[in-house]
Amino acid sequence: MPTATLDSPAMASERTEAEKRDDFTEQAMQYADQLYAAAMRMTRNPADAADLVQETLLKAYAAYDSFKQGTNLRAWLYRIQTNTYINTYRKQQRRPFEAPLDDMEEWQVGDADSITATSARSAEAEAIHRMPSGAVKDALQAVPEDFRMAVYWVDVEGLSYAETAEVMETPVGTVMSRLHRGRKLLRGLLADYAREQGIGVQDANPKEKQP
Amino acid sequence: MSETLEAKRDCAEARAALEEYLHNELCAEDAADVRAHLETCEECSAEHHVGEMLTAALQGACKDRAPEELRERLLASLRAARAQHS
Repeated sequence: MPTATLDSPAMASERTEAEKRDDFTEQAMQYADQLYAAAMRMTRNPADAADLVQETLLKAYAAYDSFKQGTNLRAWLYRIQTNTYINTYRKQQRRPFEAPLDDMEEWQVGDADSITATSARSAEAEAIHRMPSGAVKDALQAVPEDFRMAVYWVDVEGLSYAETAEVMETPVGTVMSRLHRGRKLLRGLLADYAREQGIGVQDANPKEKQP
Repeated sequence: MSETLEAKRDCAEARAALEEYLHNELCAEDAADVRAHLETCEECSAEHHVGEMLTAALQGACKDRAPEELRERLLASLRAARAQHS
């Protein structure tokens, strides 16, 4: 009698529901840190982040039958977490740190295209490199949510634009513009921070000195 | 077209593709074009370096770990859900 390999359809169908669900727990728990980190970017506080991860895993557990084996479990979990956040947390959350976008644009350094020269860019790169991670995190948390999360998925989590589009349920073009906007805002915030701290960044947009 | 104008156009094209280049989203051919431009253009290369530093800084800053008590809570709630399910 031929022996079925582990992943043959015959074997798979013989696996009990309970086995599949045990399997889910094991696999999903491997992403606990990443789900928590993403939840911290969304909710910006540990208590809500913990609740969000728990709710995400319970929803994923209940919906695990609809997960296509062999596809990206991590992205699937992120999508559930994103939806859960939007539907439950975002509505209730007070968001005292979220500056309206219009205010933020004034903080931006000038469009990087022409104003700054090579030396200013090198100084900027160096300042970012030396920036304390707490300051980087604060800056990211200050960026409006859609831009912040696009940056998070792509730059931190390393999702492709297509995967990010799935997680955020937006077209790829929207991911690209959110990402661009988010990174630009971050550069502005980090440049401000560097200036305040006296970390050498040449001012791309020198303001008039106060008398 | 004058040399300066052509150089400017190269820079503009490279700049427009820089973010996708950084995130490995370009096809091999386009990525090679950008790479070749970066090798010859100090300013675009400096701009690219800022982008790389930004990504590295973000990765370094977002290393939150799920607290141990959360892990225990997650396992307990999944176990409870399973008990309910079976």
